[in-house]
Amino acid sequence: MATIKLRQVEKRFGEFQAVKPMDLTIDSGEFVVFLGPSGCGKTTTLRMISGLESVSTGDIFLDDRKVTWLRPSDRDIAFVFQFFALYPHMTAQQNIAFPLQAEGESKDEIDRRVKEVVDLLQIGHLLNFRPGKLSGGDKQRVALARALVRRPAAFLMDEPLGALDADFRESMRAEIKQLHLNLNATTVYVTHDQIEAMAMSDRIVVMSNAEVQQVGTPAQVYYDPANLFVARFIGSPGMNLMASQYGNGIVRLPGANQYVVSPDWRMALGEGLDSDDVIIGFRPEAAHIKPDGNLVGEVYASELYGAYTMLHVELDGNEIVHIRSDRQTRYPIGSKVRFDLDPEMVRFFNPKTEMAIN
Amino acid sequence: MSTVIKSQTEVAKARSAQPNPRRDLSDKAIRNLFIFPTLVLLIAINVFPLIYSLYLSFTNYSAIANKQPVWIGFENFGRVLSDDRMWEFFSTTGQYVLFSVLLQLIIGFALAMLVRDKFFGSGLVTTLILVPMMLSPVVVGLFWKLMYNPTFGYVNYLLGFSNPSLAPDWLASRWAGQPTPGLALWAVIFVDVWMWTPFVMLLILSGLKAIPDYLYEAAAIDRASAWFQFWRITLPQVAPLMMIAILFRTIEAFNKSFDLVMGMTGGGPGTQTEVVAVTLYKQAFQGQWQTGRASALAYMVLIIIIAISNLYIRNLNRMKEGA
Amino acid sequence: MAAFEETGPRNPVTESIRVDKVHPRARFMKNARAILVLILALIGLIPVVAMGLTAFKSRADVVAVPPKLAFEPTLEGFVFLLTERSQLSGSKLEEAKANADDLGLFGQIALRNGQRVNGPSDYVTRLWNSLIIAGGSTIISVVLGLFAAYAFSRFDIPGKDDLLFFILSTRMLPAVVVTIPLFLMFRQLGLFDTHLGMILLYTVFNLSLTVWLLKGFIDEIPREYEEAALVDGYTRFQAFYKIVLPQAATGIAATTVFSLIFAWNEYAFALMLTSNNARTAPPAIATMLGRGGIEWSAIAAGTLTFLIPVVIITFVLRRHLLRGVTFGAIRQ
Repeated sequence: MATIKLRQVEKRFGEFQAVKPMDLTIDSGEFVVFLGPSGCGKTTTLRMISGLESVSTGDIFLDDRKVTWLRPSDRDIAFVFQFFALYPHMTAQQNIAFPLQAEGESKDEIDRRVKEVVDLLQIGHLLNFRPGKLSGGDKQRVALARALVRRPAAFLMDEPLGALDADFRESMRAEIKQLHLNLNATTVYVTHDQIEAMAMSDRIVVMSNAEVQQVGTPAQVYYDPANLFVARFIGSPGMNLMASQYGNGIVRLPGANQYVVSPDWRMALGEGLDSDDVIIGFRPEAAHIKPDGNLVGEVYASELYGAYTMLHVELDGNEIVHIRSDRQTRYPIGSKVRFDLDPEMVRFFNPKTEMAIN
Repeated sequence: MSTVIKSQTEVAKARSAQPNPRRDLSDKAIRNLFIFPTLVLLIAINVFPLIYSLYLSFTNYSAIANKQPVWIGFENFGRVLSDDRMWEFFSTTGQYVLFSVLLQLIIGFALAMLVRDKFFGSGLVTTLILVPMMLSPVVVGLFWKLMYNPTFGYVNYLLGFSNPSLAPDWLASRWAGQPTPGLALWAVIFVDVWMWTPFVMLLILSGLKAIPDYLYEAAAIDRASAWFQFWRITLPQVAPLMMIAILFRTIEAFNKSFDLVMGMTGGGPGTQTEVVAVTLYKQAFQGQWQTGRASALAYMVLIIIIAISNLYIRNLNRMKEGA
Repeated sequence: MAAFEETGPRNPVTESIRVDKVHPRARFMKNARAILVLILALIGLIPVVAMGLTAFKSRADVVAVPPKLAFEPTLEGFVFLLTERSQLSGSKLEEAKANADDLGLFGQIALRNGQRVNGPSDYVTRLWNSLIIAGGSTIISVVLGLFAAYAFSRFDIPGKDDLLFFILSTRMLPAVVVTIPLFLMFRQLGLFDTHLGMILLYTVFNLSLTVWLLKGFIDEIPREYEEAALVDGYTRFQAFYKIVLPQAATGIAATTVFSLIFAWNEYAFALMLTSNNARTAPPAIATMLGRGGIEWSAIAAGTLTFLIPVVIITFVLRRHLLRGVTFGAIRQ
């Protein structure tokens, strides 16, 4: 298994910068997800790693071997496409055997290795069908088998579940994760679905506007977003973010609400700010509803999510925040609700740089 | 409830069933009105003549003789089948079709591969290549006759023959004055290839362009060499369109070959380039105007064409099922 | 080669392209391919160019050995093609030369060969016939084809596929096979060698093309537009000509031109079903060869007048060519 290194890799289409110079090191055996909205450059980056797209500047290394200008076939990587890219005129069996035949392996060896991956993925019953006769999930299983059969140094997957129905997605997600745990193969996985990213990855690379916003474990990007974009993008709904004023250990939220900053934050806030303005951020689950809570607002809407209720609470000054409540208590619309924030889960951002303060 | 509220479709049905004062003709009437003239014309000028000629093929009718047709059963068919010269004409046609279609397929495929990826001016060049197939075959035949002229034609000039007496006279099947059978047929086949290769190229090109890029990306990832990609992806993917091209060309070679041959050689020298269509014309409209016998021959040609088309179409369907 | 894989291309790549296609070898192959295609295309067009040149050659230049590429262009061929002339001699020739200034361009050219223009040649009539017959049959076949195509596209018709296949198959019949009974029929009905007969014949000949092509074009127009119009109180016929026709305009134009070309180029039917009155240009050019003293420049001029419109049309229609030549069976 291989490490993948990107050094100042940039992609331009004419004048347009599709990927701004980025550095990234992916460790051997790691499962890294590129996450971002469409058009953020994540797929372009993946395709550059594969060689299906050439870089404008910068270099790509596989295991310290510079592969920037090696053709895709010389890089020893496998690629799983969003729309499977199975050869439509071949059966599943022929599709899986294709990479081995292309390398001129002997028939016995081909049969043996095809059988190996077929057993691993349990797709023996699909072998004699052509892709046109297979369901989306089965197509992707065959595509995975075709990628696996060559035993490549790394797997690149471009939204492999993007074309599947919702229920297939969930089970395939588990299958791919299981597969990764079995093979421990370096995997780079592109998706715009944060649930996929959170569920599968060792590390997430959040991208937006052709730039890497944050690289971190799922917990890091969720709890410690590096900037406002990540805070908004990760989680659904995203982090509650409010423009507020800081002074003397107190953050004044819109209206009469005030939040007392815990001692370990004071130093950081003082250093991280060049004016009184600060953006406070907290996740819906950071709010605890209490009769004597410090903050107060009016219930604007209430949505039962099943396991919990999501309240939309309007603070004074029309700011609406999302707050998680238990599933039993009912809050009539228009009623007052008081809550406190868990000091461990409150984050602050510099409104000018949009970066997190810590 | 259910008796009160009708489903939306029921309401719609009820509404359309009511006579609409502004809708003076029903859809059915419009439909019939629209296809009727086409069908009548096709039946009058295509189907009826076919039936008529089937009848004629069993008679000894001659269009210039002032006699009523007399029923002679299968005599015409028997005569055609036992006529050695007829086999010669069929064999000429077979060679013509086989070689011209084969060459068109090979050259057309190569050309399509060449213009497949865009380059500067590729659209213009592709259109230039397509010009010959839009021309009138008989006119093409005529100007190739000039090209082939043994003394002042461009063909011999371009091939470097400076002395007309040593040069080939293509359409007369002579090389330096010596009879060289087959030369004229090949000259005609060459023109057919010149004229119709663009057609085959166009079809194959459309097939090539329909192959999604991601198949080649997948193949590049799968480490397939260019040759391996060609044999395992490109060829099977365009095979159905090649089949269609062959079908069209085979049928047309029976049909349009008439124009080309008439323009260039009229079947000569002797009968060296006499394809069946020319024989038919000569039997029906020249000499003794053997209308009945020509009809029998025409029917045999028709049966051959239908048989060949069926063969191709069955093959094509098999391929499509596979795809 | 190793150098490329180490250093990459000289300039940053700013297009979407696979790494192996940036390789200098791939770039070289691309250029080589472009040049090869250009050369092949030019070789392929030699006959057409040769014909174009010949049309402007004088009688002597046409038969020059080796063929002349540089020559003094003349309209002699066109004069031979389009006019009836008589040979002048002696005093008449002198007299004509004296009054040469009064003659038109064609008259003067004829005079250089010692000839006088008596009037337009038969070929002018043949061209005129071609125009009338191709034009008339095209109009009818496109109009009828439109109706039928609309019906096939929008209505349930019992045995639709079989009917459509039948319509297509009529086009596949070798002309010679249908001609024998048609000849007898036409003779019986007094349609032999008449414009009406040829128009009818070409109409049917082109109907299969127009129905198939137009059906393809109409299929692409969403039904919703008409349905909305019908709901708004349009009649079916109003919906047809106010909604569908304007949207199918390009398709109709392309179909019209294809239909025109096929009728314009047709030879076999014209050869067998006309003799003089309604004879079109293609068989006329062909029979010009039959007469003694072949005027190659006249034939070249004749074919040129035939080729130029077709070449122009090929360029105009290049996006629709595939459809046109495969009866709409294949679209790009």
